[in-house]
Amino acid sequence: MSGLRVQDVTVTRGAGPVIRDVAFTLEPGRITALVGPNGAGKTSLLESISGVVPAASGSVSIDGTDITKQSRVARAKLGLAHIEQGRAVFPGLTVVENLKLTARTWPRVEEVLALFPELEKRRNSPTALLSGGEQQMVVLARAFAARPRYLLIDEMSLGLAPVVFTRLLPMVTRFAEEGAAILLVEQFTHLALGVSQDALVVSSGRVTFQGTAKELLDAPETLHSAYLGE
Amino acid sequence: MLQGALAGLAAGGLYAVLAVCLTLMSRLVRVVNFSQSATGMFGCYVAVWLSIHVGLPTWAATVVGIVLGTALSALLGWIISTWLAEADIGTRSAVTVAVLLLLISLSFILFGNKPQPFHPVLDGPAFTVGGVVVSQVTVVTVVLSVLIAVGCRTLLTKTSFGLELRALSERPTTAELLAIPAKPLAVAVWAVTGLLSTLVISIVAPSQSNDATSLAMLVVPASAAALLGGFRRLDLAVIGGLVLGMAQGAVAQVDSLSVVRYFLPFLVIVGLLLWSQRKEVWDVAR
Repeated sequence: MSGLRVQDVTVTRGAGPVIRDVAFTLEPGRITALVGPNGAGKTSLLESISGVVPAASGSVSIDGTDITKQSRVARAKLGLAHIEQGRAVFPGLTVVENLKLTARTWPRVEEVLALFPELEKRRNSPTALLSGGEQQMVVLARAFAARPRYLLIDEMSLGLAPVVFTRLLPMVTRFAEEGAAILLVEQFTHLALGVSQDALVVSSGRVTFQGTAKELLDAPETLHSAYLGE
Repeated sequence: MLQGALAGLAAGGLYAVLAVCLTLMSRLVRVVNFSQSATGMFGCYVAVWLSIHVGLPTWAATVVGIVLGTALSALLGWIISTWLAEADIGTRSAVTVAVLLLLISLSFILFGNKPQPFHPVLDGPAFTVGGVVVSQVTVVTVVLSVLIAVGCRTLLTKTSFGLELRALSERPTTAELLAIPAKPLAVAVWAVTGLLSTLVISIVAPSQSNDATSLAMLVVPASAAALLGGFRRLDLAVIGGLVLGMAQGAVAQVDSLSVVRYFLPFLVIVGLLLWSQRKEVWDVAR
């Protein structure tokens, strides 16, 4: 039974639940866009899948193995990668050192650098000195080097110009082409839906739409009601 | 005065090793470990007790003491990594103050409040320079401090283990999401620094004031030395420790100033803190 399965997950933060009884499955080779207004619980959902925050109830499984109680490290070893919101680089480490953390071997580092010519030029620079777009590229490249089977991407475009973000999106589709299942949280809804096969809309901690990305693009009123609360 | 300065080098080497340990702890596991020398002191006291009351040979008792100091430090690291993993550096450091006081109290209860009759691990002169005798303890502690700093720097910059430690120190949660095992690595750092502290204290304690409070409070001059490197740079921590030890030794030779040697670490700490804050003060003034 391959896939990442989220079953009736509820996440509590502070006073009450921010995610309630959410269920869906990520399948290999497919991108699922997770959209919804700010505060809908998208980040909390991703964090509960990767183990940054515990799920109050429900379960998460990878290929039939229940990982709900497993550590972040154990989940990562099962092939789950999580690109956090913001630019999750290690600022004191160089580009190559960031990549080496997941690539493990030099040939893999070189292979990944070849996909990102902008990074190749700055391979020995500390990532703190890179631009926002380059830093996000490092984060993507680092995830790519790990060859994850399941990838959670949280607001990759945050703080980036749309032109920079559109440069990064093809790399996300490349992950999927290599067989990874991707859950993509993105503020640029139409760009995210444009590269996704499936879509989830979350509003006030609940899934209000689940279907294909095309169905959602064809029904803009569904998105509007999620964002505007109508 | 030169003789005093050279005599102070043994203490300087001790400060330097402890300062390197404090710097590693601050950089890698986000703790200012106020119990750094107390765990070493406790391990050494147990070694003396084993030597006198159980009859273990000095070397065997010393090994047991070092293992105990290492284990105590690792246990504290495990506790902090388990229950205070997400806590800020202030909270984590406050726990080590409690451990410092606990170990001093425990040593008073178990071993009394008198200095212990340490058997020297190293004894005698190493060589003479211009009529000044340099002891084996001085040579070993100075060489040890430099070797440890160079070794740690090499480990951090040239190995995958060091790379993972640096990543962990910068973004612990992100590091865990990349399958870097935060807790075992943190406990390893605690264990290694515990081992080094106990080792160097067991070498120097026989020739220093070795009551429990004096040994536990070696963390003060060590902090002054670590502060010179901003708790970031190992080379400056070593230099700070050696210079502070030599300065204390030199001052002790002048009768009218000899008492100042006890305050010197505090003066250095205050001076460095004021110096580090100069820009903020000027900014506010502007």
